[in-house]
Amino acid sequence: MTEKPHEPHAPHGGDHGDGHGAGDAHGHAHGSPFIQHHYDDAQHQFDSGKLGIWLFLAQEVLFFSALFVAYILYRYHHPEIYSYAHKYLDVKYGAINTAVLIFSSLTAAWAVRCAQLNQRRGLILCIALTIGCACAFLGIKYIEYSHKVHEHILFGRYFDPCVSSGGRELLTRNNNCAGTKSTVVWDAGAGTATAGCFADIDQDPRREGVQADCTVKEYTLTETPRRVRAPRNGADGKPVIGKDGQPVTEEVEKIEVTETFKRDLPERCAEEPLPGHGEAEGGAEAAHHAAAEKFPCWRPAYQPAVCKKGVGILVEYGDHEEREHLRIKAECKPPPKPADAGDLLADRSQPLELGVPLIQPRHQLTVHEQHELEAMGPPPEHTNMFFTIYFAMTGLHGIHVLFGVGVFTWLLIRSIKGHFTPDYFGPIDYAALYWHIVDLIWIFLFPLLYLIH
Amino acid sequence: MSSSTATATATADPHHDDDHHGLSHMASIKVLVATGGTLLVLTLVTVLATKIDFGANINLAIAMAIAVLKATLVILFFMHLKYDRLFHSVVFVGAILAAALFVGFTLMDSNQYQQTNIWDPDAPPAAPFGPRPTSG
Amino acid sequence: MANTNAIKDYGYPDGPTTEPDFLHVTKGIKSWMLTLDHKRIGMMYLFGILGSLIVGGAFALLVRTELWAPGKTIVDQDTYNAFFTLHGAVMVFLVIIPGIPAALGNIMMPIQLGAPDVAFPRLNLASFYLWCTGAILLIISIPGGLDTGWTLYTPYSLETRTPVLIAVSGVFLLGFSSIFTGLNFLVTIHKFRPQGMGWFQLPLNVWAIYATAIMQVLATPVLGITVLLLAVERFAHIGIFDPTLGGDPVLFQHFFWFYSHPAVYIMIIPAMGVISELISTFSRKPVFGYRFVAYSSVSLALLSFLVWGHHMFVSGQSRLANMVFSALTFTVGIPSAIKVFNWVATLYKGDIRLKTPMLYALSFLLLFTIGGLTGLFLGILAVDVHLHDTYFVVAHFHYVMMGSTLVAFLGALHYWWPKFTGRMYAESLGKVCSLGVFFGFNMTFLPQFVMGARGMPRRYWDYDPQYQIYHQLSTIGAFVLGISIFVTVIYLFASFWTGKKAPRNPWGASTLEWQAPTPPPLYNFEKPPVLHELYHYDDLVEVEEDRWEREAPTEVEADAGHGGGKP
Repeated sequence: MTEKPHEPHAPHGGDHGDGHGAGDAHGHAHGSPFIQHHYDDAQHQFDSGKLGIWLFLAQEVLFFSALFVAYILYRYHHPEIYSYAHKYLDVKYGAINTAVLIFSSLTAAWAVRCAQLNQRRGLILCIALTIGCACAFLGIKYIEYSHKVHEHILFGRYFDPCVSSGGRELLTRNNNCAGTKSTVVWDAGAGTATAGCFADIDQDPRREGVQADCTVKEYTLTETPRRVRAPRNGADGKPVIGKDGQPVTEEVEKIEVTETFKRDLPERCAEEPLPGHGEAEGGAEAAHHAAAEKFPCWRPAYQPAVCKKGVGILVEYGDHEEREHLRIKAECKPPPKPADAGDLLADRSQPLELGVPLIQPRHQLTVHEQHELEAMGPPPEHTNMFFTIYFAMTGLHGIHVLFGVGVFTWLLIRSIKGHFTPDYFGPIDYAALYWHIVDLIWIFLFPLLYLIH
Repeated sequence: MSSSTATATATADPHHDDDHHGLSHMASIKVLVATGGTLLVLTLVTVLATKIDFGANINLAIAMAIAVLKATLVILFFMHLKYDRLFHSVVFVGAILAAALFVGFTLMDSNQYQQTNIWDPDAPPAAPFGPRPTSG
Repeated sequence: MANTNAIKDYGYPDGPTTEPDFLHVTKGIKSWMLTLDHKRIGMMYLFGILGSLIVGGAFALLVRTELWAPGKTIVDQDTYNAFFTLHGAVMVFLVIIPGIPAALGNIMMPIQLGAPDVAFPRLNLASFYLWCTGAILLIISIPGGLDTGWTLYTPYSLETRTPVLIAVSGVFLLGFSSIFTGLNFLVTIHKFRPQGMGWFQLPLNVWAIYATAIMQVLATPVLGITVLLLAVERFAHIGIFDPTLGGDPVLFQHFFWFYSHPAVYIMIIPAMGVISELISTFSRKPVFGYRFVAYSSVSLALLSFLVWGHHMFVSGQSRLANMVFSALTFTVGIPSAIKVFNWVATLYKGDIRLKTPMLYALSFLLLFTIGGLTGLFLGILAVDVHLHDTYFVVAHFHYVMMGSTLVAFLGALHYWWPKFTGRMYAESLGKVCSLGVFFGFNMTFLPQFVMGARGMPRRYWDYDPQYQIYHQLSTIGAFVLGISIFVTVIYLFASFWTGKKAPRNPWGASTLEWQAPTPPPLYNFEKPPVLHELYHYDDLVEVEEDRWEREAPTEVEADAGHGGGKP
């Protein structure tokens, strides 16, 4: 290890006079040039730095603690949100990320060992691997996040999912999901749907006998810019009156939207068999479900966050295209009133057959099936909070991973320059400790967010 | 002291990992790889455990127990806390305690008002002593 | 008690030196801006903090002027809201929290340990620049008229159109400045003590800084995440505090006060450490019950984490939580009381010298007793229901934050001024201004207790005429107080030109910093400091007015604790 010549600092200017014990034990007389002058020796500097980094890690624990408080509070009080929403997350990616981070923790700890043994090449390799794993983690995070952005599965007021957590297409407020289009017209200012909801059809597809008789039509929208004369409004919003007593008009460019009828959509989507029902009804339903759906088809969709009362009509196109200049309109008849019980011996539409049960026994849903059933439906109220917490926690964690990449890159450069020796490897040790805390936090985030049941 | 270690050999000596030659304890490759491997296995276990349904609370308890076990392995072996000064453990445990305090008191408080009725503007509760007075 | 962490050898030279002191060793702006010397960093903090004190004080005087009469006196309601918000934010985040630790602690604490510097000098400079940037951001939010109150409560802080984002970015950086300073001091105190200075030979000022640093490291990150979440909520509407999106506005209060309660102890504990030093030195007596005072600092730091809910008694917090927090609030008063009794016992039969620092210390005793007791009154649930958000609370916290912390800060400033500037300030002016501070302060805030108990709410621009007499007394007192502080700052700075040169030990104090040259050189000592029995004054003689020297050490002392060197 080459040593750089070291200028004398006060208080060591000149000779010491009498030797102080092991007079040459000052770190800067021999050994690494990175031992600072106010420290006794390399051990002193290393120990001080170690205590310093542990204190920093303590503060990191507290920094994340508030988010854990929020998580625990919301989960304790709204477990239904968590049990619904976690299915939006892909356990595969979470598990891969966990494995990647564990491996990178191993390489970081190994890097410390290499520094202690003066194995420069091993040190460089381990740091490079750690950085590589960190980048892989961030890459997978990017994939997860971009999927969520695409499906509008976001935090706070931007939570407007295109699919339910079981994978079924949903009504959305902004109505531009890939492969579907609905009748809903949402007014962001008023915070409510101004058209497209059918209030007298209060249908929950989880209940029996969902029926709605609708005629559904598809319209293309064309936008033509026009120049029209319109009255000019003053600062108070009222029209400005000119000298002649008439409102002042000016030429403005308005976008005129015209609807042109495109086609009828007569095909109604087959109802997906609900859990617990499909098996009991035997092969018929299953076969129907397995047969190719004729697309496009429409169905009534229940989503209280979008249509406060009733349902909207959702058209499924069976592809992943986003359709912009399209509007769906529907006219629906209210559902038929339930029939009288009538004469028990009267003719029934379904003739009795020996051996064929008229009333199918329904088995009690298991918890798993109950959850699956719920996952087909719309999100419970305030499911956005799960994603607020998800993005806050994983986002903050991701920022820490990014900082880790930066720190390790700097250390990589220093390692290549040969700065680290067995008597000066503190920065590697401290950065590895920081990296282990980042790993530690993910070890808790993974089951808490991805593995809820 | 420091000068002697500056010229330490470059060969690894896995049998002397508990000696405090050098600035601090050095982890052996065996320990590092074993810890890493155990962590990966535990990750697999925790994912598989979610496939079996013991009931929501028990599943949570199992997941958390495994997470705490993994965390302990990381802290003791990767972060060398087992071989380090006691005070560093005090610092870390202190931070965990402060965080636990934060969680505990806040949860204790919010637990108390779960029976509150949530006001629904569409369905206000009936006036207790007669019709609602008109404004003005 | 064996000190396994002891420094083996600081490497101080062996005798009088011609080395220039730290103020003159290098010249030029760059040598100050890039300095790694803790004393220069501390002085830069000091200038920033005194400047912020003037700014915060100006806002205070504007508030008090507006309250001279009911209704509009000089400004309208919205501007008034901005005045009290900025007064609070500037004073809390820029003056009182950093005040004693960052400025005076930085300058003096390593020297008190006999150390050449703090553990991490570069981190120290980084802390200072974080403070500067945070201060600038906070100041930038002034023209926008931040009007949420310094406590930034949701939901208003989410809706107001004033520059909350800029201000909380500043607060975030100030928080990290505080964390890194605390971290630095903790490691310094653990790792930079000389041979013979075990834990129970530490000056009580160092114990106080240690306890403060624990709180800084553990509590401040929660402030960081809280303001970060507030900023993200404002910017991206994530919904964590917004009830319309499913969030909880009271959660903000829990997050905020989990930091802000330990924060008030971050303010007061260093002040208490200073008072221990002042009372001991100016009574020429060791601090009575040293171990009790030392333990009470640390226990106060730990207990401070358990009581944050007492700020939230009327926020809708549950009855159970209210009772728990109230009971814990009573226990947190015990360590403070222990200290007050020990200080009074120190004064008893002491050889009392009424120099300016001592006048401030005695003011502290009275004002802190009032402030601490009224805090206990507020901790009683039934009483707090009436007094919450009234002027009673305002008076209480001004008694502890200003009457105690700021008074201790001024006392410490006068005490150590000769050591780090090399100049004596004008003593007679010092005495006059300290009395002005004392009387002005009481005139400002005693009436506020009365009007608060009679129902005057805080943060109100307008009020019933029945309160006017109290407001007017308070305003007059505020101007007396403001003028006294302003004159203090002036004569302190004037001492750079007109002050007498200060000797090594003008007060006859016994801690290690008084063995360093005045002002100290770059690495603080020109020869290894000699450890003597702590707070032992028998062998210090007053050679002339304001100049003390230690008699030659006896055989026993020379062997007991030779600082630095021999292993």
